[in-house]
Amino acid sequence: MEVESFLFNIVVLSMFVNMTIALYGILMKPSLVKKIIALTIFSDTINTLAIIVGFRHAEPNPIPPVITEIPPSLQHLRLFVLQAVDPLPQALVLTAIVIGLAVVLFLMFVTLQIYRIYGTTDVRKISKLRG
Amino acid sequence: MNRILHTIIMISLILLVIGLAMVLSTGGLGFTVPPSGIRSLAIIFLNTTFNLDAKYRYISAMSPEAVTAIVWDYRGLDTLFETSVMFIAIVGALAISRGATEKLLKSFPSTQGMSLIVRTITRIAIVMILAVGGSIALHGHLTPGGGFQGGATIAVAPMLLIITFSIYLFSKMVTVYKAVTLRSVGLIGIALSAFIVLFVALIHSSSAYIFQNQPKLYSYYGLPSYIEPTVLGGTLFLFNTFETLAVAFGFAALFILFMLPEDAVRNVIMGEE
Repeated sequence: MEVESFLFNIVVLSMFVNMTIALYGILMKPSLVKKIIALTIFSDTINTLAIIVGFRHAEPNPIPPVITEIPPSLQHLRLFVLQAVDPLPQALVLTAIVIGLAVVLFLMFVTLQIYRIYGTTDVRKISKLRG
Repeated sequence: MNRILHTIIMISLILLVIGLAMVLSTGGLGFTVPPSGIRSLAIIFLNTTFNLDAKYRYISAMSPEAVTAIVWDYRGLDTLFETSVMFIAIVGALAISRGATEKLLKSFPSTQGMSLIVRTITRIAIVMILAVGGSIALHGHLTPGGGFQGGATIAVAPMLLIITFSIYLFSKMVTVYKAVTLRSVGLIGIALSAFIVLFVALIHSSSAYIFQNQPKLYSYYGLPSYIEPTVLGGTLFLFNTFETLAVAFGFAALFILFMLPEDAVRNVIMGEE
């Protein structure tokens, strides 16, 4: 159990470190393209963290939590609840991924347009532009 | 000045990691190992996802797949607004690239795309991608999957087609206009599916809730959730189908606009000034 606890904490801690590296990229990298890459790493890490929060340790190794009887009997349903993981984080993450993809595409269009018009994606140069 | 700012940000980020690690070690997530049980909220969701028991009959979503039930039934309005975020993001991208349509391609010589090997393999792969995407989307009320995942899977197909067969050939199959139209059909379908039970109830001169799927207290109308032995999933199936259309063709339109030749788009932008 202690080894499991250690490994689990290492995984979560590595996600925190990953988040921080992504935040560093968003804040400090001058190129807009690199900022977008860091943003995708950040959102993916947050999504994985949300999935980890919904994770459970089922003992012994369970059969997949699928309702096979239609309609399910009460006993079957009780077994299903004992085996399934929390569905709410998964429901939130699955929409977040697709919407994140759409938002990233929008940001890429903005960056592409900035590059086409000003010939640079460096925020230091863009902030000095006038008119 | 820049170096000081850099140092401050570095130190604050390191402090952030240390702080988060301390929160984690003192049980900030609520646990330090994966728990053997689940939250009481999750138990409620799992218990009511498909339950014919009299106690749960009128709060059950009647779908064997709990995630899809949460996405389109328990939290249906939430998902509607998330879809509208995606809608606005795609509309914004289309507005930025206005004037750039596939008509620009006519003024440029067409290219042949990639080699025969790649094209043959892509022809085989496209069929499989579309089949898997359709399967994920249409079985969303039975197995893990649904409109978002199926649509995102199908959206890989236009990407592959554009890269291997070149944008010139692909724009003869699907234009931006057609893709946006089909995406709007999907969004209108989602909007109508939100009201479909209300329409059914109004025909019977009664009333129902918006986003209602199964019979609820004071509103005993709903689409059939299963006819032995087939699970239909009520409105979940409609939502998944239309969401697939909306997601797949929304991304297809954006991919076409992305892949337009740089010179053509640059001419449009510079011509406006």
